[in-house]
Amino acid sequence: MKPDDVTTAISNALLQGGQQWMVATIVAFLPVLWTMSLMFHLGRPYVLRTLCRCGLRLGADIWWMSYLIIRDALLLITFALSFIFFNPNLVVNMAFPITGPVAALCLLLALAVKLSRRVDDDVNAYRLATVFLVLGASLYYIPLVFSVEAASQDYLSWFVTNFTSNTNPIVALWIMWLSLAGVAIVSAWLFVRLLVNANRTMRVAKPGAPSTREPAAVTQ
Amino acid sequence: MSVTDLTNAIVGGINSGLEQFLEGTLAAILPAIWLALLGLHLGRPYILDMIERFTLRLGADLLWLIYVGIRDFLIISGVVLSFMFLFPDVVSADQLPITGGLAAACLFAVLLVKLMGDPDHNLREFRIVTGLIALGALFYFVPYIFGVQFNSAAAGGPFESLSNWLVTSSNTQWAVGLAYVTTALFAIMGAIATAYTLITGGRAEVPEATSTQ
Repeated sequence: MKPDDVTTAISNALLQGGQQWMVATIVAFLPVLWTMSLMFHLGRPYVLRTLCRCGLRLGADIWWMSYLIIRDALLLITFALSFIFFNPNLVVNMAFPITGPVAALCLLLALAVKLSRRVDDDVNAYRLATVFLVLGASLYYIPLVFSVEAASQDYLSWFVTNFTSNTNPIVALWIMWLSLAGVAIVSAWLFVRLLVNANRTMRVAKPGAPSTREPAAVTQ
Repeated sequence: MSVTDLTNAIVGGINSGLEQFLEGTLAAILPAIWLALLGLHLGRPYILDMIERFTLRLGADLLWLIYVGIRDFLIISGVVLSFMFLFPDVVSADQLPITGGLAAACLFAVLLVKLMGDPDHNLREFRIVTGLIALGALFYFVPYIFGVQFNSAAAGGPFESLSNWLVTSSNTQWAVGLAYVTTALFAIMGAIATAYTLITGGRAEVPEATSTQ
């Protein structure tokens, strides 16, 4: 083997190894993100209870604002990182929970509920978002704990074989494509809703006329 | 050895090395998180003393909110980082405290009490939370110090078998069993939290304080 061959091997290894490690790190951190998303969403009564104890409006506003930003950012980041479940090559070659794409779809549905309804004011909308989140989390955790992270357990071999993406690639790909179709439909609906909403609210405002949403100082 | 073989060997080394490094880092951070959350929970009287001395309501509110935020965030971090105790492969391969999963379950129970009650204003619930944190700390630190960190020093001595028993990788049967117990506890408490949140619809139901600070 020549020095050039060794250089090529190390370069390829760094590239492939780095890529695999990046994906593996995302996979390893997804349970963390899922758990934190769930905790922040389910912990709303506790946050509101603490908020009620605040003596000043400023403290309460800072507390509530921080909670909202962290909670919703966590949901968004979890969905963004869950997108690795929609890469066919990774699904076939790496050990992923087989229902990971469905979990990501449930997360998107929870986000869609938040975008289309006032989850923080409407109890039923909050319940609907909760159901989607808990369903998604269960679909993620169960194959992760009993299949992907239990490969060494002989008595779980049936579960390991059937619920890990790279040992059951045909079913995994079907689940992935169906979930991807679901994601596309929900995303398209969100786009249409955004455009309809923008047409309704922005067409009313004529050029030069003060908008009702502008602050009073601007209109004067 | 061909170029492909060498590439595969290096890729394998990078992956397994970095994975072990990541798990090792998480395992090393956990004691620090446990100590910090213990310190903040036990330091509550000090914070309340300081709040009473504030002349401005804003400062008092901010101090209390920052205290509550950091304390509860550390508890959440403790639960989240303890997730590796649920994975049979990880507990079989890595040197972890054998009852670390039960410690995480205690922290989860603390979060459940905080969700369903008001331990900062109710004495009974505060006592429950304190008891759970103390129990969790025992579950974590006893096998951590006398097992994971005492393993090499105990070799050949009278405590060798006890030390090995307290480490997951040298007591895999118990470790995997306890991982399943922890998973079941997490599932039950998670179901209770979900049911509570669905019933209340995420609203705060402020109970009457039976005992004040």
